[in-house]
Amino acid sequence: MKIADRPLAVPQPARGRLARSLQRSLPLWLLLPALLILLVIQVYPSFYSIYLAFQRRQAGVESFVGLRNFEILLRSADLWESMRNTLVYTCFYLVITMVLGFGLALLLNRRVRLTPLYMVLLFIPWVLSDVVAGTIWRWMFIRDYGILQELLQPLVQRTLLADPVGAMAIVIASSVWRSLAFATLLLLAALQLVPREVQESAAIDGATPGQVFWHVTLPLIQAQVLVTVLLLSIRAINSVGLILAITAGGPVRATNTLGFFLYQEAWKFGDFGLGAAIAMIMFALNIILTIVYLRTLRAEV
Amino acid sequence: MVTAPTRKRLDMWLTNAMLMLFCALMIFPVLYIVMTSFKTRGDVLTSPPTFFPPVWSLDGYQQVFRSNMLRYYIPNSFINSLLSSLLVMPIAGLAGYVFSRYRFRGSRALLLAILGIMMIPGLTNLIPLYRMASDLQLLSTNTAMIAVYVGGGLPFSIWITKSFFDSIPRELEEAALIDGATPLSALWRIVVPLAMPGLFAAFLLNFVDTWNEFLAAVVLLSRVDTKTATVGLLDFQSQFEVAYHVQAAGCVMIALPVVVLFLLTRKIFFQAMLEGSLKG
Repeated sequence: MKIADRPLAVPQPARGRLARSLQRSLPLWLLLPALLILLVIQVYPSFYSIYLAFQRRQAGVESFVGLRNFEILLRSADLWESMRNTLVYTCFYLVITMVLGFGLALLLNRRVRLTPLYMVLLFIPWVLSDVVAGTIWRWMFIRDYGILQELLQPLVQRTLLADPVGAMAIVIASSVWRSLAFATLLLLAALQLVPREVQESAAIDGATPGQVFWHVTLPLIQAQVLVTVLLLSIRAINSVGLILAITAGGPVRATNTLGFFLYQEAWKFGDFGLGAAIAMIMFALNIILTIVYLRTLRAEV
Repeated sequence: MVTAPTRKRLDMWLTNAMLMLFCALMIFPVLYIVMTSFKTRGDVLTSPPTFFPPVWSLDGYQQVFRSNMLRYYIPNSFINSLLSSLLVMPIAGLAGYVFSRYRFRGSRALLLAILGIMMIPGLTNLIPLYRMASDLQLLSTNTAMIAVYVGGGLPFSIWITKSFFDSIPRELEEAALIDGATPLSALWRIVVPLAMPGLFAAFLLNFVDTWNEFLAAVVLLSRVDTKTATVGLLDFQSQFEVAYHVQAAGCVMIALPVVVLFLLTRKIFFQAMLEGSLKG
């Protein structure tokens, strides 16, 4: 974290008591609008959410039920299924995005002349909305009429969208497609921090390109790589839009992740208490990742 | 024996070939939907499917132009994204400036807390926000959407503007202060013009983010005339169930503004993203 080295030096204190105290409290006045909005739109709802997680609506009345919501959740197979789906989704998404992102970043790091063009093309999937992206992907896999489904048909012999494993694969592929450019940009920026001479001298000493990457480049950009991994995992755990647009959790809950589970409980079935309890579980996962993220950032600078 | 320069050129050639192949794969789904949007009603349902439209037609777009997409959904998205991004810019800018220039008790902790907010999953807050909007009679209004978007965009924008202010030397303002300017006029006349690219970056990222936002919108908006483009697309899909060319044209219309904006401002865009995610 780079905090300014020193506060701003104000040479002439204003004359008059009122003016002076105004000048001293200026930073707070400037911060006030942002803080007020954050309190109302972010902080208060977060606490409200915690409160809701311990409430349950029965016969139209909400009452405190302690850990009842969590009990229901932990007992239901649905939660564990969603957890497992989230884990599968996150792991595959993370590994594939990182591997491809590194591949692309390494290629682009060779100072290719067309880099700006490649970056723009790579980034178009990233600027699309989840709903638009999801719609595109769903169509490409519709039975008989979907272009990728038809292409893959001889290979897989089934309709991928209707198949539990296939549907998950489509959701993962589309998520990788959306995030790849972002990961590539972060990794490319990291790679460009590594002095060229370091890699070249290792190569002169007889290291293969693979060795240079594993033993020279990677250790130097460790922190940035970790930050990228964390940003991607937070994104993965919270993702809902794409799944909603492509599979709507199906077939038979095969792509029902934690985020989708929460969406469904709260908005399809109107169970806000249960929804809030799921939100708490996701929140906990995020907090853990966030702490690691901030630690990494602080260790890096 | 291959000589070194030839090898290097071969290497470069291979690199470019691989990159081109990759970019083609990445852009394929986008091209596919653009092609689909120009097909006729019958040609979207051919088996096996074709990539290029056998007959080019504007029927899809004509139907989009007559639909709610252009009457309500896209204009609503414009209002929400534009107003919320315009509001975020100065509010985040002032806060970013304070975090860059002043130190007071707890300022560092406050900044960290704001960054922490960035990690709260948007989904977590939706239930309370829905309740609040409902209590305030603000369900299905642009006001509610703009408020939620401003609150959602602030943390990241504060972060970006702060990094930007950090890169502007403070000697400039101090010179103005010595010349007798008040801190506010020094900020307005000297710092703000220099920080314009950073403020614009905040505006840009917020615009794209809110334009694409879906979950808050689908939860808070139920009236047709206040729905945004991403939510409207869902209605669109039930309305034009098998008319995929109309749906595709709708998708293209939704994507077009942000894609164009991105193409025009890509440098600031990339810079802001790096600034916000990596630079501590």
